[in-house]
Amino acid sequence: MIIRRYGENSLRIIFGTRIDMRVHEDVRRAFFLCRSLHRPEILEIVPSFCACVITFDDGAVSYEALADLLRERLADLSRVELPPPQLHEIPVRYGGDAGPDLSFVAEHCRLTTEEVIRRHCAETYTVYTIGFTPGFPYLGILDEAIAVPRLETPRTRVPAGSVGLAQRQTGIYPFESPAGWQIIGRTDSRLFDTGRPPFSLMQIGDKVRFHVAD
Amino acid sequence: MSDSITIRNPGLLSLIVDPGRKGHSDVGVPSSSALDLYACRALYALLASPDIPLIEALGPRLAVRFDADVTCALTGARVKAFLDDLPLPPWSSFTAKKGSILRIREVSEGFRYYLGFAGGLKIDPVMGSYATNLECRFGGFEGRPLRGGDILPLTAPVTLEARSFPEAMIPVMSPPHLLRVTEGPESEYLTPEARCLFWDAKHREPFIVSQEINRTGIRLLGKPLPFRKEMAKSIISEGIVPGTVQIPGDGLPIVMLHERTIGGYARAATVIRADLDRLAHLKPGDTVFFELVSPEAATAVWQEKKQQRDFFPSRCR
Repeated sequence: MIIRRYGENSLRIIFGTRIDMRVHEDVRRAFFLCRSLHRPEILEIVPSFCACVITFDDGAVSYEALADLLRERLADLSRVELPPPQLHEIPVRYGGDAGPDLSFVAEHCRLTTEEVIRRHCAETYTVYTIGFTPGFPYLGILDEAIAVPRLETPRTRVPAGSVGLAQRQTGIYPFESPAGWQIIGRTDSRLFDTGRPPFSLMQIGDKVRFHVAD
Repeated sequence: MSDSITIRNPGLLSLIVDPGRKGHSDVGVPSSSALDLYACRALYALLASPDIPLIEALGPRLAVRFDADVTCALTGARVKAFLDDLPLPPWSSFTAKKGSILRIREVSEGFRYYLGFAGGLKIDPVMGSYATNLECRFGGFEGRPLRGGDILPLTAPVTLEARSFPEAMIPVMSPPHLLRVTEGPESEYLTPEARCLFWDAKHREPFIVSQEINRTGIRLLGKPLPFRKEMAKSIISEGIVPGTVQIPGDGLPIVMLHERTIGGYARAATVIRADLDRLAHLKPGDTVFFELVSPEAATAVWQEKKQQRDFFPSRCR
């Protein structure tokens, strides 16, 4: 674990430099531990694949003091009590208008569209981070056989619920928004509800499975 | 009918903002705050109404009709503003009578300006904030930019004595814009020459604000900043903070504002907090320079600015 200052009042807690499960587990433990400290001077915590970025109130605590505190509290991550990950089953309408890039993905990967769908549904994915837009889960790790590049020119608008692929990741667009991933389907599951805490259907470490909607 | 204002003309882009949505960046919720928080706080002081929802507007032609007597204030970009035929002084409050119309005829310095109403607009907060998340269409007024014909109800319109913010405390908003930055987490991805070109007072090259600007980020044009050969051109996505200067593969900086919590490009620099307000006033064609400072120096400048801000209420006369 390395702690580095970022700007004036943020810091990064870095656990590795690769996307893998062990690094992810450390990030997740650190995130829940930092949150459980209930320190008012910790303003924001953004956990991602390899690091947590913390923004703090530097009027209340200095970078050095907070970094020391975190080093001490994060020294033994194995003892952190974690909420059990939730499993989310997501029904998807693949292809057609709901998934305009499904045939490209099949062609690019030299598979039938059925095989792309089968492989997308075969995996249990982990929520590595949430961002881009509120509630957007970055899910890994996608079967290498259906890994595709991002769109060269992102779409300016895709409907809420669009399911996309990019490299070894898959994700779901919670809102109608711009999108640079290859869209293979759409779900009616609601990923983000601004009116109901905890707002996001998923949080870091949750598990996700896709299936073909009836 | 309840007291309200009517948008006659929204100008180029008008939306409801406040100091931002806090505490939810772990699930990707950005702050979407007003871009010039200094102007925003000055307005709160002028109206003695902290944290009320405000209109952040761009460009000339904003026109608002008052359907009640209410004291308002205008801050941010310097504009030629008229209440009916009466010209209004900059960064001041004024009382509009029912039936009068406020018109912005020209923006003479800066880019974004703020209009607030004593007592506030009646708007439901979403996740603790009135700010509009334009991209995902929530918060603010129906999650969207204001349109001609929109009727915005006032909470409890108040009339106050007209006050002005001291002229000497109105910041410069015209180009060239000098943005002070601290080193970002991936500044080492750039070659030493690129780093000099970027932020060294002796060697730096100017950047020009491109047409590609929105509330998410500001793309700059200029001499591309080359990456070191062995370095990747992107990073594994990680948290970003407002003012982060990302360098994508083409070497041209993008200054991120208050609409993203994570990013996947090299974070070469971070605009210091004291200079974030200035980002509200970068418009296409403006010249931008960067200057590297230490986090300690940046914090000292920020403390000074924050102290000034604490005295805003006593400085308005």
